[in-house]
Amino acid sequence: MASIFLKNVGVDIPIFDVKTASLKKALLGRTIGGPFARSGAHLMVSALKNLDFEAHDGDRIALVGDNGAGKSTLLRVVSHVYPPTSGMVHVVGKVSPMFDTTLGMSMDATGMENIQIAGTIWGMTRAQIRNSTDDIVEFTELGEFLKVPVRTYSNGMLLRLAFAIATIRDPEILLIDEAIGVGDSGFFKKAFARLLQLVERSRILMVASHQDDTLRRLCNKAAWLSHGNLMAFGEFENVLSAYRNPNAPAQQPATA
Amino acid sequence: MLTQVKDAPSMTATAASTVDFVSLSNLTLKARIARTISEEIVAGFYAWPVWVIMGWDDIRQRYRRSVIGPFWITLSMGVFILLLGVIYSRLFHMELENYLPYLSIGYIVWGFMSAAINDSCIAFTDTSRIIKQIKLPYSVYVLRMVWRNFIIFLHTIVIYIPIAIIFKIEPNLKMLLAIPGLILVCVNLIWMATVIAILSTRYRDIQPIVGTTIQLGMFATPIMWPISSLGNARIVAEVNPAYHLIEIARAPLLGEFAGLHSWLAAIGLAIVGSVLAAALMVRASRRIVFWI
Repeated sequence: MASIFLKNVGVDIPIFDVKTASLKKALLGRTIGGPFARSGAHLMVSALKNLDFEAHDGDRIALVGDNGAGKSTLLRVVSHVYPPTSGMVHVVGKVSPMFDTTLGMSMDATGMENIQIAGTIWGMTRAQIRNSTDDIVEFTELGEFLKVPVRTYSNGMLLRLAFAIATIRDPEILLIDEAIGVGDSGFFKKAFARLLQLVERSRILMVASHQDDTLRRLCNKAAWLSHGNLMAFGEFENVLSAYRNPNAPAQQPATA
Repeated sequence: MLTQVKDAPSMTATAASTVDFVSLSNLTLKARIARTISEEIVAGFYAWPVWVIMGWDDIRQRYRRSVIGPFWITLSMGVFILLLGVIYSRLFHMELENYLPYLSIGYIVWGFMSAAINDSCIAFTDTSRIIKQIKLPYSVYVLRMVWRNFIIFLHTIVIYIPIAIIFKIEPNLKMLLAIPGLILVCVNLIWMATVIAILSTRYRDIQPIVGTTIQLGMFATPIMWPISSLGNARIVAEVNPAYHLIEIARAPLLGEFAGLHSWLAAIGLAIVGSVLAAALMVRASRRIVFWI
């Protein structure tokens, strides 16, 4: 059983510039005081505000909203990358974030070595990696190329390998951010089928994207975020139409 | 199909089945300290496959760029030791057979310590892509830096072998003390690297400060000169923690006993430093991700 429970969650992100990231400036500010003292303060952006949110087994949730609405921040809170500034996050189940598939890839290492490295960073055990290596080799169709450093790969080949490694996990809670790059269009169908398998294996899916068609195929629910607020959360088509036609009347309020 | 392997203690934070994540206002200080130590520090040691493979990959990259890999460092260290040994042994009126082993071991251990600390400045910033995507204990990134420099140290310590043979350093049981000595050095490096990794992520101008300090430190520490040459000013070296850390590794390898006070200083430093590093981690761990 997996579940996600967010209560009153707020996330403030500090913005640093050259001044605030300097020890010298910070020390000057402390000793001199006056106008210099302010150089220690930095801008805070409220990425999420008082968010209540709940998800259970079988939920396939699309996160929609304009850029900077807080979709990625919400995913990062659920995956424990961002600690909440206020409120409480309670997550039951193994979380598998998939924000950038090329994570942990080492350019000078061979394809095979990268399966080891990236797999380990993704949290897989040695046995798990060993058992799924054949599957990755077969899926990527890279053959002998897996024995040479990945820096010699084309962009498409690299993405293919990264995608294959990123999709061998057994997630309970799967978090996907934005479209997943998989290279050439001929490969896309195969990749999408694999992604669907991964989604099926997961208990809860949260995916942030701007591609309505993709979301429609993956999701049964949707959450609409705007400026860090949850505008609507519920049945997929209802929320999506509310988001796409903000002037239409009678939207359900954000109650979890 | 894949089968999920259920490890007894969860390997990483991501593998944990239930994790509560509450804001500071909902946490007592005691709970905050306990959670930070278990989730950000101790869990990192359990996640050893991650930092071991990351460190190995760093070393493998060096081998890919040149056939002899990190042995380039060995080579340049060897030349430095030879050159300096010949000149400085005259300067300090020491016999080459005493001075060269002393210089080489001290310099090799110093090289390990300084490289680990230098690298710790970028422990978090260099891995920002991972930190912003997967929750791993922060100690994983620190341990990777210490581990990869330990591997390099194993490459450079081979200089000791011909030197021990040429200058007839008799193997004796005292040499076994080098093992606890080096372990203590590593423990101290881990807390130092933790502190510097956190501070230099928040304040980006710490990195050059650390670099300069290390450069100066090499001249201020008895590596190229024997502590006896200080005469009455011995205290200058005795208050230098780096001296004691080098001494507990160097003296055994020279077939001598390190002073008890050096052992005590290294142990005391390890305890006090680890508490300091843990305290800093408790204070900073919730913010590091926003600094990178």
